[in-house]
Amino acid sequence: MKSEVFDVLIVGSGHAGGMAAKILTEKGIRCLMLNAGPVADVSKDTTRTPAYELPYRGFTPPGRVEHVFQANEFNANVWVDEQEVPYTFDTEHPYNWVRVRLFGGRSLFWSRQSFRLSDYEFKAKSHDGFGEDWPISLADLAPFYSRVEEIFQVAGALDGPPQMPDGNFVVDDDPWTPSMQRFIAAATPKGIPVCKQRRAMGRDGLASSVNLLLPDAEKTGKLTSIANAVVRTLTVDKNTGLPDGCIFIDRHTQQEMSVKARVVVLAAGTLESTRLLLNSGLANSSGLVGHYLMDQIYGAGLVCSVPEARGGKGKGIMGGAAIVPRFRNISTKSDKFLRGYAFNVTSSTGGVGARNFAAFGAELLQKMEEYHGSSFHMGIMGEVLGRKENHVRINPAKVDAWGIPVLHVETKYTDNEYNMAKDAVETATEVVESAGFEVLSKNEAPNPPGYSIHEVGTCRMGDDPKTSVLNKWSQSHDHKNLFVVDGAGFTSAGWQNPTMTILSLSMRASEHLAEEMRKLNL
Amino acid sequence: MRRRDFVRSLIAAVFASRGLSAQEAAKPQLPIAAPVPWTLGLNPKTPIPHTTVAEGIAEAKLSFFSATQMETLKRLCGILVPPIGGRPGAVEAGTPQFLDMLIGQSPEPRRTIYTGGVDWLEAEAQKRYKLPFSKLEDDQASAMLKPWLRTWMSDHPPVESHADFVNVAHDDIREATFNSEAWAEAPPTVGHEGPPTGIYWSPIDPDTHATGENGKPHVEAAKGAAGMPVYPR
Repeated sequence: MKSEVFDVLIVGSGHAGGMAAKILTEKGIRCLMLNAGPVADVSKDTTRTPAYELPYRGFTPPGRVEHVFQANEFNANVWVDEQEVPYTFDTEHPYNWVRVRLFGGRSLFWSRQSFRLSDYEFKAKSHDGFGEDWPISLADLAPFYSRVEEIFQVAGALDGPPQMPDGNFVVDDDPWTPSMQRFIAAATPKGIPVCKQRRAMGRDGLASSVNLLLPDAEKTGKLTSIANAVVRTLTVDKNTGLPDGCIFIDRHTQQEMSVKARVVVLAAGTLESTRLLLNSGLANSSGLVGHYLMDQIYGAGLVCSVPEARGGKGKGIMGGAAIVPRFRNISTKSDKFLRGYAFNVTSSTGGVGARNFAAFGAELLQKMEEYHGSSFHMGIMGEVLGRKENHVRINPAKVDAWGIPVLHVETKYTDNEYNMAKDAVETATEVVESAGFEVLSKNEAPNPPGYSIHEVGTCRMGDDPKTSVLNKWSQSHDHKNLFVVDGAGFTSAGWQNPTMTILSLSMRASEHLAEEMRKLNL
Repeated sequence: MRRRDFVRSLIAAVFASRGLSAQEAAKPQLPIAAPVPWTLGLNPKTPIPHTTVAEGIAEAKLSFFSATQMETLKRLCGILVPPIGGRPGAVEAGTPQFLDMLIGQSPEPRRTIYTGGVDWLEAEAQKRYKLPFSKLEDDQASAMLKPWLRTWMSDHPPVESHADFVNVAHDDIREATFNSEAWAEAPPTVGHEGPPTGIYWSPIDPDTHATGENGKPHVEAAKGAAGMPVYPR
C-alpha cells in the first residue's frame, strides 16, 4: 500500500495540536494528526452512578493512578494508567505526571483559568537576573493572545495590574459579594491586588481542542486524524538529515506503522514531546533537551470561615471568586525568594469539609451544620524556577506497553519554592484575619512537582542555539522543519496557568510555519 | 405456448402465491433449523436484569486484618462515625469489611499506617484500661482519640505518628460510609450530605464507537451493526 506524504505531521491533539491543525489547514496545508489514545464520547462512555455501585465505593482503585491526586474511581479511566505507561523517579523525590491520552488530551479536563504572561515573565532575567529571558516579549504575543481569547471566550474584568495584562475579554462586571469586599478591603492596604477571575467559557460548556479548534480544521477537508497511534520515534531523511515522519505503534494490535511528512509539529504535551525527541535523538545539539523542567507549586493555602455567614446566614454574603496576581518582587524585593505567587480565592456557598474540624461523630456533624455556607478558600500558584538540574532523561531499563523507553524524572523543589509557600500562607493568614475571618486549616507544604499539571520547559526557546533548543518561532535550532508547540518551549514558568500562552505560541508558530511553506523555505 | 395459455398460467401462479402467503401469516414463524448468528440476539429492546450490590447480601471473607485488628477497626468505625439521625453508622454500612479489602489491596505505606494504627490503639487500650480497644466505653475510646485529631487540607494529612493514622482513618471511614449503599438508602435527615453520585467513565478501550458527530473529532472507526432486529412484545 502506498503511503501518502503529508505536508505536516502533528503529534498530539490537545490545545497545542488542535491550534496547529486549525491554523495550518485553514491555510490549505494538508495535515495528519496522530493521537496516542482513543476518542472519548461522553454520551457512550459515561453514566451517572451512585458511588456504592462502584467496586471501590468511589475511592481511587488502589495502585492504579497513584500519582494522580486528582483521580477517583469515577474518573480513573480517563487518566493514563501508570502501569501501562510508567515513568521512573527517585523515591525521595516523587513526581506527579498527570496525563490524558484521549483525543483532545488534557484540553478535555482543565480548570479554564486563562491568563497572559507579562514581561515580568518574558523578560524575567532582565528584571531579577535569574535564568534567561524569552526571545519574545508580550508585544510579540499580544495579538495572538487576543485571537485565542476570542476563540475561547475568556471572561474577566479589565482590572489587571501590569503583571497580569488585560485581554480581549467577555467583560465580567458582576459586583463583588460582601465577603469578597471585606477580603479586598483587608488586602489592599497590604499592597495586594485583588482582581476578577479570568476563565475560558468556551462553547456549550466546554473549552477544548475538540470543540473549539478541531471542527474548524475538519471543515477544511485538509485534516486526517488517527487515534490510538502511539508514536515511537521520528524518522529522518538519510540525505538531508531532516525529520521526515514517524513510526507509530497501533495501540491495540501493536502493529508498527510509518507515515511521512515534510514538516513535523510536536504537540504531545511537554514531557511526551520531549520523550519523543530524546528517543529519536533529535534537536539536541545544545544538550538541553529535557532540562529546565518547571511547573507551579500548588497545595499550599488555607481554609477559613466568615463568621457572619454561619448558621445559614451566608446567602447574600458569600459567593464569587478572585485572583490575586503575583505581588512579590514587582516593585519591592523579597530577601527570601525570587519571583512570586498568585492566589486563587473562592468564597463558597457550599459545605465545609470535615477535615477543617478536629472533631468526630455528633460534634463534627454539628460543626459542619453550623459552618455550612461560610467557607473562604485561598490556594497558591507559585512560580518554580528553571534549573538545569531539574530534568528528564530516557530510562533505557524500562519500557511502556508498546516497548518504548520511558522517562526518568529528576526534579525537586528548592528553598526558593518552600520559602515562597511559607510566605504565601503567612500572608494569607494575615489578610483573612484582618478581614475578621476564622482560619480553620492551613498548609505550607507544596504538593509534589507535577501536581499542578502545568509542566513546562525541557525544550526551552531562545536566540542562542547553544543555550536553547527552539528559536523564537518554536522551531528547532537544529532542524528547520521540526516545531515543538506545546509547553516544552517555555523559558520560564510564571505563576499563570500556561494554557493561553501555549495556544498563542502554537498559533504564532503555525502561522510562521505556513508562511515559510508558502515561500517554499520548508 | 399460446399467448392465452401464458396469461392464464401467470394468473394462476399469482393466486397460488397469495394463498401460500396467507397460510404462512396464519401460523407462527418457526425458528430457522440452523445455527443462529449468535451476535444478533442482544438488542436495545432486551430487558436489563436488575442486580444489586453484594455488600448488603453477602458476608465478606476478611483477608487483611487479623481478628484482633478487625475488632479494633470495627470499634474505631463505631466511635468515629456512629449512627445519627436515622442514618447508618460506619459499622452498619459495612465499612470495616470494605476497608479490609481496600487497605489490603493498597500500596505498602497505606497498609502500614493502618496495621500500625490499630495495633497502637489496642496496645494503648490495654495500657490505659487493661481492656481491648474493642471493649472500651465511648468516653474511654474518645479520650484516646481526641488528642490526635487535627485539621488539615487535602493531600496533606498530619505526619506525626498516631495523628497520621487517626486522621487518615477518620477520613477514609467517613468516605466509605457516606459512599455505601446503606447510607444512600437512608432518608436524608441530618446534615447536607446526600447520597453521592457522580459521572462514571467506563474504560474507553477499545474505541470502536466514535462517530465524528457533535463536533467531536472524526476518526476512522468500526461502525455498529446496521439494522437491529425488532421483536414486537
